[in-house]
Amino acid sequence: MSGMPSSADVPIRCDGHEASWPERLHGTSVEALYVHVPFCVRKCAYCDFSSWATPRDDALMERYLDALCAHLGDACDAGLLTQCWTAYVGGGTPSMLAPSDLGRLVRTMRAAAPHLRELTCEANPDSLTDEVLRTLVKSGVTRVSIGVQSLQDDELVALGRLHDARQAEERVAAAVACGLDVSVDLMCATPLQTDERWLDTLRRACALGVGHVSVYPLQIEEGTALGREVGDADPDWNDSEVQAHRMELAEELLTGKGYARYEVASYALPGKACAHNQAYWSGRPYLGLGTGASSMLTAEAYEALRGPWPRLPKRREDAARVRLTVTSPRDALACNHSLASLDAEVELLTANQAAAEDLMLSMRMARGADPGLLQHARQLLGEETLDDAVCWCQARGLAHWEDGRLVPTHEGWLMGNELYGALWDLAEGTPITIETS
Amino acid sequence: MSTYDTSHIRNFSIVAHIDHGKSTISDRILELTHTVEERDMESQLLDTMDIERERGITIKSNAVRVAYDADDGETYQFNLIDTPGHVDFTYEVSRSLAACEGAVLVVDATQGVEAQTVSNALLAMNANLDIVPAINKIDLPSAEPERVREEIEEALAIPAEDAVCVSGKTGEGIHDLLESIVFLVRAPQGDGDAPLKALILDSYFDAYRGVVATVRVFDGRIRPGETLYMMQAGSSFLVDDVGVKRPLETPLPELGVGEVGYVVTGLKDPGAVHVGDTLTYDANRTDEPLPGYREAKPMVFTGLFPIDNKEYENLRDALEKLRVNDPSLTWSPETSVALGFGFRVGFLGLLHMEVVKERLEREFDLDLIGTSPSVDYHVYTTSGEMLDIKSPQDLPRPEQIDRIEEPYLKASVIVPPEYMGAVIQLVIEHRGIQDNMVYLSENSVEVTFYIPLAELILDFFDQLKSRTKGYASLDYEFADYRASDLVKLDILLAGEEVDALSFIVHKDKAYTLARGLCDKLKEIIPRQQFEVPIQGAIGNKIISRSTVKAVRKDVLAKCYGGDISRKRKLLEKQKEGKKRMKSIGTVDVPQEAFLAVLKVGDE
Repeated sequence: MSGMPSSADVPIRCDGHEASWPERLHGTSVEALYVHVPFCVRKCAYCDFSSWATPRDDALMERYLDALCAHLGDACDAGLLTQCWTAYVGGGTPSMLAPSDLGRLVRTMRAAAPHLRELTCEANPDSLTDEVLRTLVKSGVTRVSIGVQSLQDDELVALGRLHDARQAEERVAAAVACGLDVSVDLMCATPLQTDERWLDTLRRACALGVGHVSVYPLQIEEGTALGREVGDADPDWNDSEVQAHRMELAEELLTGKGYARYEVASYALPGKACAHNQAYWSGRPYLGLGTGASSMLTAEAYEALRGPWPRLPKRREDAARVRLTVTSPRDALACNHSLASLDAEVELLTANQAAAEDLMLSMRMARGADPGLLQHARQLLGEETLDDAVCWCQARGLAHWEDGRLVPTHEGWLMGNELYGALWDLAEGTPITIETS
Repeated sequence: MSTYDTSHIRNFSIVAHIDHGKSTISDRILELTHTVEERDMESQLLDTMDIERERGITIKSNAVRVAYDADDGETYQFNLIDTPGHVDFTYEVSRSLAACEGAVLVVDATQGVEAQTVSNALLAMNANLDIVPAINKIDLPSAEPERVREEIEEALAIPAEDAVCVSGKTGEGIHDLLESIVFLVRAPQGDGDAPLKALILDSYFDAYRGVVATVRVFDGRIRPGETLYMMQAGSSFLVDDVGVKRPLETPLPELGVGEVGYVVTGLKDPGAVHVGDTLTYDANRTDEPLPGYREAKPMVFTGLFPIDNKEYENLRDALEKLRVNDPSLTWSPETSVALGFGFRVGFLGLLHMEVVKERLEREFDLDLIGTSPSVDYHVYTTSGEMLDIKSPQDLPRPEQIDRIEEPYLKASVIVPPEYMGAVIQLVIEHRGIQDNMVYLSENSVEVTFYIPLAELILDFFDQLKSRTKGYASLDYEFADYRASDLVKLDILLAGEEVDALSFIVHKDKAYTLARGLCDKLKEIIPRQQFEVPIQGAIGNKIISRSTVKAVRKDVLAKCYGGDISRKRKLLEKQKEGKKRMKSIGTVDVPQEAFLAVLKVGDE
C-alpha cells in the first residue's frame, strides 16, 4: 500500500540499550516525562482536555509552576528520572506562560532528568512570540508542537481558535528558523472544511519546512461548546465517511512529500519522528506530573514514587504495571509543594493485562508488534488465545504479518476500535482502580 | 383452635382480569388484618419476583395466611392465594383454585366485565367454588358500579345484588369484603385421622433447603420428621419443616386438615417434585390420589440459545430449576448453524415466553438469544407421514410437503360496540373467521372468531389494544388444526442464510413481511466494518432486500498525555455492547434481531 509506514526511528534508552519487552516491566526509572500546564487563553469549541481559560495575569500560574517544580524535585529524588530520555510539556497552552516561568519550568525538568535527548513544548500560534521562542531555545527545548489545526480562516473561527492562517504560517516559520524541530497539529472533518481546502492546509503546512505533522479527525465530545451546539445531530461534516476520506487524503499527500506515517496520527520526515509519542505506544514507563497528567509505571517505579507520595494505595502483589492519573484540581495542586498530599486515581494491571495492553498500543505504530513483544505476549496470554485473536484480525483485514511483525493495515487504522478491542480482549479481567482517599 | 376443627378456616383465591386490582386488594387485606404493618407495607407484597413488581403483573400464585377478627367475635384463619390475570397463566389460576373453597371475583368498576373475567369466573364455577363478587376501584370518578353489577349478572349469571364495592387503593369496603368471605365461603371439610391426602399446588427450589412445596391438606396432617410419599412421582422424602407464610415463612408444629402451607422436602433434585401431585403417608397411604391438574399444553415455541455456547449446560440446569414451579415449561435440544446449541422451548403464550427468558437472564445470569416464536405445525409429507414441526428449520423441502396444517384458536374479544368494526377488520387482516357476536350489555359486545395461533402471537394483541384505545380484552382457547397455504421465509445476511431468522408465514403475507423484516433488521443491525446486505427469500427466490451501510472509520480518541485508561474504558464499553451480540460469519447481530419479526409494523 502506498505510504504504508516504514519503521521509523526506534527509541533507544539513554544508556544506549533498548529495553526488551520483559525488561520494560522493571526498573525504577521511567523513560519519558510529561508535564501538564492546564491553562489556556480561551477554551476551544471542541476541547475536553484538562485545561481552563485563565487571565494572563492570574497569579495561579506562577504558584502552579512552583508546585510542579517541587514535584519534579520529589520525583528526581526518588530516582524516577535517572534513565529518562524524552520529555514533553503539554497543555493547555504552555506558550502562554510568562517566558520567565516557562524557562524556569524547562530548566527544572532538565535538572531533574539530566539525560534528556528530546524535550518538546506545545505552543499555540497566538502566544508563540519571538520572546517565547528565544526562551525555549535557551532553556533547552529541542522541539515545538504547534496547534495550527487549519490554515483556513473561517475554519479556525468555527473551531474557536485565536489565530488566523497568516499568523499560524508566520509563527511556524519563525520556529523553524530558530532551528527547533517543529511539528504541526492539523484537524480534519471540521465544520466548513472541504477536500480541497484540507489539501490546501496540508500543502501549505508542508511548505513551511516542518519535520513532523500530526493529523486528527475532530471528535465531537459531550460537554464541549461544540458538543452542546451539535446536540444529538450527526453533522455531515463529521461523518465517518468524511473522516476516513480526509485521513486518506492526508496520507497520500504527506507520504508523497516524504513524510512517513509512523503512527496512526503522526507523519515525520526521516529522523524527525517524536520519541516521546512512540514511548507511549511501546510499553515504556512514563511519569506525568500536573493536573490530569497520567503515568505508566513499573512496580518498582511505583514503589519508589510511594516514598515521597505515601498516600498512594499499596500495590497488590500481582500488579506488574500501574497507571496513575493526578486528580487534584489545579488550585489544590498549586497549594501543595510536595507530592505528599496530592490526589490520584491508580489503576493496577497484572502482567497478563499489561501484555494485552502493549499489544493493543503497538497497533497504533506502523511497525506494529515486534517479535520480542509477540514472544513475551504468547508466554503470558497463551499461544492459542493470541493466535486466535490474530487470525480474527487478519480475517477482517485489520492486521497482517510482515517480517515476523504483526502490522496494522490501513483498514485496521481506520477501524482502530475493532483492532485494539480484539487485542485488549486478550486480557484476563479488568484492571483494578483505586483512588487516594 | 384445634387442628381438627376446620370451621374457622377459609381458603380462597382472588381472580380477575389483568389490571383489575387483585394484588392491591391482597395488599389491603394484609394491612387490615395486621399481617403486615402499614409502615412495612410495600405495594404488591405478594408479587415477590422483581419482574412482577416492575411490570405490575402477577405471574406466580402466592399463598399467605392471615388471621381475621370478624364482627362475630371469632378469629378466622384465611388462606389467601393470589393468582395471575393474564390469559397465558390461566393454567396457573386453575391450579390455585383446586386448593380453595371460594373465589373473590374482582371486576374493575371503570372497565366492567372483560375477557379473563369471564374465563376466570367459569374456572371458579367449574371448580365448584363459592364466588364472592367484588367491584373494585370505586374511588375513581369514572367508576360505574351499577352498570358493572348488571354486567356481572347478565354476562356471568352470577347474582351480584350483594357484590361488595371496594377500593384497593383507599381500603374502602375491604372490611365488608372480609365479612362476606366469612359468610359466603364454606369451611373446608376433611378427616384429620384418615391417611394423608394433600395437593402440591406449587413449589420452588431453595439452594439450602432443596425443594419447598406449597400444599393444601385435604385429609390427615403433616408434621416434621414424617416420611411422605408422592403418588405420581413414586418417591418419598422426610419432612424437614412445615409452616405458613404470613407473608414471611413461619414454622409450625403441623399442617392440619383444610390448611394451606409449605413443606420443606430437603430434596436436592429440582425435578423430583411435581406440581399437581398428591402427598400421602409413606407407611399409611391413601388409595385415591387427588385429581391433579389438567396438563398445560404449550402453544408457542421459540429457540433459546446462550450467546456464549459454553453456557449450554447452565441453561439446561436453569430450565430444570424453573420447571420446579412452572411445570408448563417444556423443551428439547435444538441446534442452529448460526446460533450453535440451544433448546426449543414451549410456552403458554408470548408473555410467558418473555417472563421465562427474563427470569433465565436475571436469576441465572445468562445472556440469551430468543428466536422468532413459532407454533406447532402439522406437516403432511407426500409419503403420507405427519410431522410435528415446531421450528421453521425442521420444515421438509417444499417438494416433500403435501400440505401444512396450523393450529387455530377460538378467541373472544369483549369491547364497547363502537369499536366492533375495528375489531372485525383486525380479525380479517389476521386471517380470522368471525363466528358469533353477542351483546353482553348495552355497553359491551363479545365477538367470537377462529384465528390462526400464528397470527395471534405476532402483533394481534398490541394492534387490538391500539385500535380499540385499550378497551378490548381478549381470551382464547385451542380449537383445531386447519390446512393453510404456508411457506418458509428465509433471511440471508451478507449472502449467508441464517437459519435462526427463518419464519413460517402465509403465502399471501410473505412479501409484505419480508419487506418489513428486511427494513426492521436494517434498523437493528448496527453499521459495521463491512456492508451487510439483508435479503428475504422463499426457496431460491429473493423477494426483498435492504443494506446496512459499512462504517468507514470508527472513533479514534486522541490519547492525550498518555491517558490510555480512558481509551481502554471506551473499548471495555464497546466490548460490553458486543457481548450482547452474536457473531454470524463476520456480522455482529444484536439479540433483538432474532425477534425482529415481532416488531415489524412498529414505528
